[in-house]
Amino acid sequence: MGLKASRPSLAGYDDSATAALISRAAASDHGAWDELVERYAPLVWSICMGFRLGHRDVEDVAQNVWLLLAEQLGRLPEPAELPGWLARTTRRECRRVVTSAGGPDTVIGEEIVMAERNAVLRAAFAQLPPRCQSLIGMLTSDPPCSYAEISTTLGIPVESIAPQRACCLERMRGSMALLGLAEAGANPPGGGPGA
Amino acid sequence: MLEGWDDEQLLAALGEAVKAREAVPEWFVETGKNAYAWHNIDAELAQLTYDSQADAGQMAVARSETASIRALTFTSAHLSIELEVADGSLLGQVVPPQPGTLETHTRSGMTTSPVDEAGFFALEPIPASPFLLRFRATDGASVMTGWITL
Repeated sequence: MGLKASRPSLAGYDDSATAALISRAAASDHGAWDELVERYAPLVWSICMGFRLGHRDVEDVAQNVWLLLAEQLGRLPEPAELPGWLARTTRRECRRVVTSAGGPDTVIGEEIVMAERNAVLRAAFAQLPPRCQSLIGMLTSDPPCSYAEISTTLGIPVESIAPQRACCLERMRGSMALLGLAEAGANPPGGGPGA
Repeated sequence: MLEGWDDEQLLAALGEAVKAREAVPEWFVETGKNAYAWHNIDAELAQLTYDSQADAGQMAVARSETASIRALTFTSAHLSIELEVADGSLLGQVVPPQPGTLETHTRSGMTTSPVDEAGFFALEPIPASPFLLRFRATDGASVMTGWITL
């Protein structure tokens, strides 16, 4: 069992931890497999993009990476290390289809940490109540929506946006702690130590 | 660590995470989900251990006389499947030689072909890419290749 799966059960959130998803997928839970794919497809995708592969090659790589995972699900050496395994396997498959020598300069460790962090952030966001998802979604849109726009769209007074935002982000922090972001070795974005 | 994230940093990080997910096309995610069909399959997965095209590419020399034949080898712990593409057909050999049945899986379904006593098989026409081969030996052993795109 992986580190994450062995942590105490809290409000059922640990079911979303990667190791638990792997165990469930290995036990023929198709939904758990789909969630694993949803969670880590961005990692596999970004590595393929780093190799500047064409559509056909990307498809070739993706099919074989996920086929290998499906085949080895019950035998992964350390389920909690899935992101690392996926990154290595994807790079190997990319090199196989790339005819010219060489590859991207990105540091594989960074890719894994970012992918893990992003996966936890998305999972924590998905656990927010719908009203929080709407609000935070508008606040993180690019370009960000103005408070006036949010007020009109969501039907909440401008002055209550800031307190609701704080409340929703606090909930997100709670989910993230349970989902094990700290274990992913995450540093705050922007490099600052924060408050 | 987590305690160090202020609200602005958390929002920025979430924005990045959402963008990273949105950059991934749906067909790519579907490809991953569909691979679950191979979960628990009773077959050994053979690795691609030789590809004439990849080797030729690494030579970085255009040799037109050898370009018409593509050879691939898939190897598992117990046996290998050697493939050769030529003149509109795909010829194969199971090593060590043994009889059985070959399944050709494509997007549109599966077909079977016999593998003779010498371990030979022929697929004509060449299956539509991508395809995957699974050999079922008469003695019960089963080996499959990864997805092949020619």
